[in-house]
Amino acid sequence: MQNSASPSATTAPTPMVATGGPRKRFFRKPGPIVGAAATFAAVLLMVVAVCLVWASATHQDVVTGFNEDRLRVVSRLLASDIGAVLAQGEGEVGTVNASLREAALRHQLTICRVVNGAGECIADASVYAVGGAQLPDEWPPIPEPLRAVGERTEYGFFRSATVLHVAGRGEALLEIGGGVSASLFETDHLQTGLILIGGVAACGFLAAWRMLNHRFRSFSFVRALIERAASEPAARAESLVLGVGDAATGRAWNDLMSARDALRERAVLRETIEGLGTSGRGEGGGNSAVDALWIGVLLLGPDGKIRYANGAAAVMLGVRRDQLTGTTIADLLPDAALLNAVKDVSSGQSRQRTSVELERGGAGPDAERSVLRVTVKGLRKEDAAAALVMIEDVTQQRVADESRNAFVAQATHELRTPLTNMRLYIDTLVEEAGDPAVRSKCLNVISGESRRLERIVGDMLSVSEIEAGSLRLAEDDVRLDALFADLDADFRAQTEDREMILTFDLPPKLPVIRGDRDKLMLSLHNVVGNAVKYTPPGGAVRVVVREEGSLISVDVVDNGIGIRPDECERIFERFYRAKDKRIGSITGSGLGLALARQIARLHGGDIIVRSEIDKGSTFTLTLPSAPVAAGAIGTGGGIGTGKAGEQRRAA
Amino acid sequence: MEISEQRQGAVTIVKPGGPLCHAEAEQFSGHIDEVMARSLGRFVLDASGIPYVDSSGLGALLRITNDLGESGRSLRVCSANETLREVMDLTGLADRFEFYEDVNAAVRSFL
Repeated sequence: MQNSASPSATTAPTPMVATGGPRKRFFRKPGPIVGAAATFAAVLLMVVAVCLVWASATHQDVVTGFNEDRLRVVSRLLASDIGAVLAQGEGEVGTVNASLREAALRHQLTICRVVNGAGECIADASVYAVGGAQLPDEWPPIPEPLRAVGERTEYGFFRSATVLHVAGRGEALLEIGGGVSASLFETDHLQTGLILIGGVAACGFLAAWRMLNHRFRSFSFVRALIERAASEPAARAESLVLGVGDAATGRAWNDLMSARDALRERAVLRETIEGLGTSGRGEGGGNSAVDALWIGVLLLGPDGKIRYANGAAAVMLGVRRDQLTGTTIADLLPDAALLNAVKDVSSGQSRQRTSVELERGGAGPDAERSVLRVTVKGLRKEDAAAALVMIEDVTQQRVADESRNAFVAQATHELRTPLTNMRLYIDTLVEEAGDPAVRSKCLNVISGESRRLERIVGDMLSVSEIEAGSLRLAEDDVRLDALFADLDADFRAQTEDREMILTFDLPPKLPVIRGDRDKLMLSLHNVVGNAVKYTPPGGAVRVVVREEGSLISVDVVDNGIGIRPDECERIFERFYRAKDKRIGSITGSGLGLALARQIARLHGGDIIVRSEIDKGSTFTLTLPSAPVAAGAIGTGGGIGTGKAGEQRRAA
Repeated sequence: MEISEQRQGAVTIVKPGGPLCHAEAEQFSGHIDEVMARSLGRFVLDASGIPYVDSSGLGALLRITNDLGESGRSLRVCSANETLREVMDLTGLADRFEFYEDVNAAVRSFL
């Protein structure tokens, strides 16, 4: 290649762009097309200028000749007139002067006078030039030098001297003179017009220069590139794309287009790799979109190192985002199956999608258990990375799965027990139908078990409704004193049977609150029943009701077996029953407390528990005593304002 | 200010028991940072116990949701009262948070 600054076709455009120089300059080095156009314009201007000069000179000659002829005629006619006046006159100068003045004014004569042979002015168009009022009587003959003046034109001034023969007086000389040239530039408006036209033409020329220069610059580059590429036919081996035969310029053009495409692709690729691999926060639209994902995204290079990680990945892996780039998956998630998948995908052996679920703790010593689903997927060769790793936090899904499985198992168990009892007693009833005592006992058991079944199904439905957000509360005024009286009546017989002491410590006046009486009764029934159930015979259960500001607080205090601290929250989960061996013989569905808490929360309150093993437990149910805002308790799931169950998500 | 915590499945429900103002806002912010670190961001703010917030409380909430925004999420707030929602709406910050009517709805959003 001739241009040593461009070793390859792909770098050729760089020096070409550089020849443009500073773009802000008005006069830039023109391209060849613009140069030709400018030369043509300059020649055109010069021709026009020469034409103007020629026209001006011709016009000058014509006008001068015309004026000379005119003044010549004027001179002859005036000579004739003045001769006659002088011959007939009485010798007064005034008459002659008047004639001369009239002629001077009419024909714009600068000189218009009559002199005698002695050189004295005897009459003139200018009154001040004349000495006396009377003409002299005799005039000497005109000397030869004055006679030889004749007619001549010098420097645009025509001068004529005509000898007058005045009878009786002698000879006199009539001199007239005036400007005959008509220079174009002596006229003001012509000068102004020419200057303006010249200025406008110059501005137009400069504007056209600039526009053409700008417009044709790219063509100039193309042409120069074509020439350059044509001088290097073996640099690139691409075949012709355009049907331009074997012409060197055609090949060069195609080369140029190919080189441009390659450059563009390379630039895009470089920007992508730089954006993905080095910057912590991508500036491009694609990176921003990946940053906004709540799914962790890692891009791995062929060497298995992380080139890009979004924010979610950093959070899930518990590593700062800027520390992720350059590390390997093995440092972060040391799982054999995952590492094998990453290795296969990164090396290009496999492009199959592989998912692995990993259980890991979060950052910190008391981190919670988390389940991450890591998916590895190979990318195409032309992509910026070799492998894509997506990390999803599926902990809640796994917990929900486990909870659903436990629910099904527990529900099956809880339903099977009374059904088994009923079937056994029905069999007994069929076999020993004749014995009234057996029949009565069997029917009682069947009745009790069916009620238990009904209660379990009812509780399950209530819990499901609450959790699904479809439970509707029948809002009404609830008299708390009546509620606790009913509660006392319900448990009185049961506690007396077990020789337990059930006391209600109520304030003298209890308010009336808004809520669903049946549901509140169910909630209190479950809490008090729970205390009675898990307190050994001879124990005591005390229900203390307090009004604290806008809250009604119900403490159910027992001195039963107590609950382990780690189970204090779990007993409010559905079907969860404490692992204490002492309650193995006590039947229960594990739904009562879950239901009680949900109902309390639906009313804007809550249930919490404080407990100590072997010393007893205190369940505290709080309810708002002030009337709850309208709409707060309308449909299930809503304890705030607004439409219940409706999620107001961020856009 | 008492900040109670409950677990519902794998989701931690954080419930502050008072207004988010001054020192309480700092305490709340620190507590949330700790919850965020150990739960990978699986938590819900139960705002039923927050009667009102001041600018520092609002700043704390905004910082928390911005931190979560780094990983493409936002703070999930449930049971917010009218005052809190009005503050969010008036300051134009409401769209930076996810609001849910109750705890169950917020917890279900993690599924």
